Amino acid sequence: MSTDSLTAGKPMRRKSSRDAKPGPQSQDNTSRRRKGLSERNRPLWMLIPGGLLMIIIIVVPLLLGIFMSGLDLDQYSLRKWVSAPFIGVQNFVEALTASPLLHAIWLSVSYSLLAMVVTIPLGIAGAVATQNAFKGRAVIRSIFLIPYVLPSFVVATVWRTMFQPGSVIDSLLHSVGIDAGLWLNGPNSYWTLILVQIWASWPFVYLLALSGLQSVDHEVHEASALDGALWWNKLRYVVFPYLKGPLSLAFLIGMLHHINNFTLPFVLFGIPAPSDVELLPILTYVTSFQSFRFGLSAAMAFISLILIAIPLFVYLRAVKLDDAETPGGKK
Amino acid sequence: MSTATAAVGRQASEDFRPGSKRQHEVTRLMPGPMLAIILTALCALVLIPVAYIFLASVNSDIGVARGEFLPSSFSFENYSKIWTSVGLATGLTNSVLVAGSTAVVSALMSIATAYVLVRYQFRGRLTILRGLLGLQSVPGTLMVLPVFVLFSSSATYLGIQVIGTQWGLFITYLTFAMPFSTWVMVTYLRGLPRELEEAARIDGASNIGVLVRIILPLSWPGVVVSGIFAFLLGWNDVLFASVMTRPESQTAAVALQVFGASQEGGAIPFYGQMMAASLVCAAPVVILYLIFQRYLVGGLTAGGVK
Repeated sequence: MSTDSLTAGKPMRRKSSRDAKPGPQSQDNTSRRRKGLSERNRPLWMLIPGGLLMIIIIVVPLLLGIFMSGLDLDQYSLRKWVSAPFIGVQNFVEALTASPLLHAIWLSVSYSLLAMVVTIPLGIAGAVATQNAFKGRAVIRSIFLIPYVLPSFVVATVWRTMFQPGSVIDSLLHSVGIDAGLWLNGPNSYWTLILVQIWASWPFVYLLALSGLQSVDHEVHEASALDGALWWNKLRYVVFPYLKGPLSLAFLIGMLHHINNFTLPFVLFGIPAPSDVELLPILTYVTSFQSFRFGLSAAMAFISLILIAIPLFVYLRAVKLDDAETPGGKK
Repeated sequence: MSTATAAVGRQASEDFRPGSKRQHEVTRLMPGPMLAIILTALCALVLIPVAYIFLASVNSDIGVARGEFLPSSFSFENYSKIWTSVGLATGLTNSVLVAGSTAVVSALMSIATAYVLVRYQFRGRLTILRGLLGLQSVPGTLMVLPVFVLFSSSATYLGIQVIGTQWGLFITYLTFAMPFSTWVMVTYLRGLPRELEEAARIDGASNIGVLVRIILPLSWPGVVVSGIFAFLLGWNDVLFASVMTRPESQTAAVALQVFGASQEGGAIPFYGQMMAASLVCAAPVVILYLIFQRYLVGGLTAGGVK
């Protein structure tokens, strides 16, 4: 659920911890002494409320979901799901062979990638353009973030209205002589989705690219100015290498977010969605709450979890979990 | 959102760097005209759809359906209709109630959890930290069915009706907000010096005392970030709210989605009302963001920790 904002905070964390960190010396000197104190009186019970909540509402349902993927569950047996017939891997077999699941996976992955491919240059362009101070920059930065701040359901409702047959986008295209046909149904809907996703998520790349640009030392700028580097050479060879880290992070988080995104396609196209945009989350939802094939849906959800696990794994490896272990060990 | 403000905050502080015109020349990445083109293009990309929301909300439905960008007739009556027609009065009340309480409770719970995770060494600590990150990416569509089943079982076995009430949403959002909120607090608390806590402990403060008297006042920028994030999670969610609410406990997001979906087919849909409702639903979030942005700049630069 709403991984966008969930994951979006990560770079900030790194940043704020870096900003606010006291000098490495002071921590190093004191940490040894402190361990004695903290060993004795550890208020580990403070973990209980949060931990209990997460176990009951996240971990238990997660396991329950995996268990349900082995059951033959429909709207009649759902109330007594404990005694529903266990059918092993049949749901998985059905999901992979007799349902549009593979198509949905393909759609989800390809749409996520395509959207990323466009948002990254947009984000870089925005970051490069606002890196230097000028009058009104603060306003422009706030403007750039509007699409990111607007709730997904609002973004989807608005674009849904604009893409209606004969509505503003059609009449605009008509005036330049293009008749593109339906946007919210048929093969175009796939591109509509990508377009709206790009609009909604490029500011996120922009933010991360901006943080990368901020990390370029002033000396580096001076050196390349002294060498008389042309601006595009400077961008290409001097500045862009600094963006590699933040942009890979943006790519991973963006992919996770796009693959998990339910609200945007759900509100944009409604249910039942056209088959060209029957993404993984939509398919899982429809299988549960429209066809009432709960077991099958749980199997689909489980498969999508495996899909998510790939970028997630890379991401977890890349994020530095702990500064506290190596006090003062600035990255 | 939180990233946004954090980044902005940092930059603001860097602007104070002794920056003369010459230095701008040095750090400049692109010729001026190109920057102007990029800025104009990106601003247009963002602002035209945003402007359209407002323009369509004061337009007539026929005007919107005909594809007008600039309305041919002005009227603000959509803004008075939406409260009952879309059900926005109930929706917004529920959204504020659920998202607001989620924000407060999750911020308070996450500060306690984060405090322990940052200050104390114990077995399983890294696993918890990793889990906090991992849990954020669990797809909502995977969780919604089991959570629904869990809640309906609680009605069958425990006699507690959760589905259809605001409580169910509150508990769900609270839980899903916790991993991120805790992460925010973990990184924030890492930056706090231990000296103040130690002083308080020497003066005889208990764990709770330290948390309430020392940590909370020092880390309230972090508390606000994590609270606002939790608020947004509740405010923006459609998935759980569409499954777990009845009309009277509907959130604004679901109210708008249902209203939009019910306009299919037949007569001209109430586009104007949809846009007006969209704007009203977006307003609190945007306002929060604007206030929060400025606040965070102050919090990060001035922050009592040096």
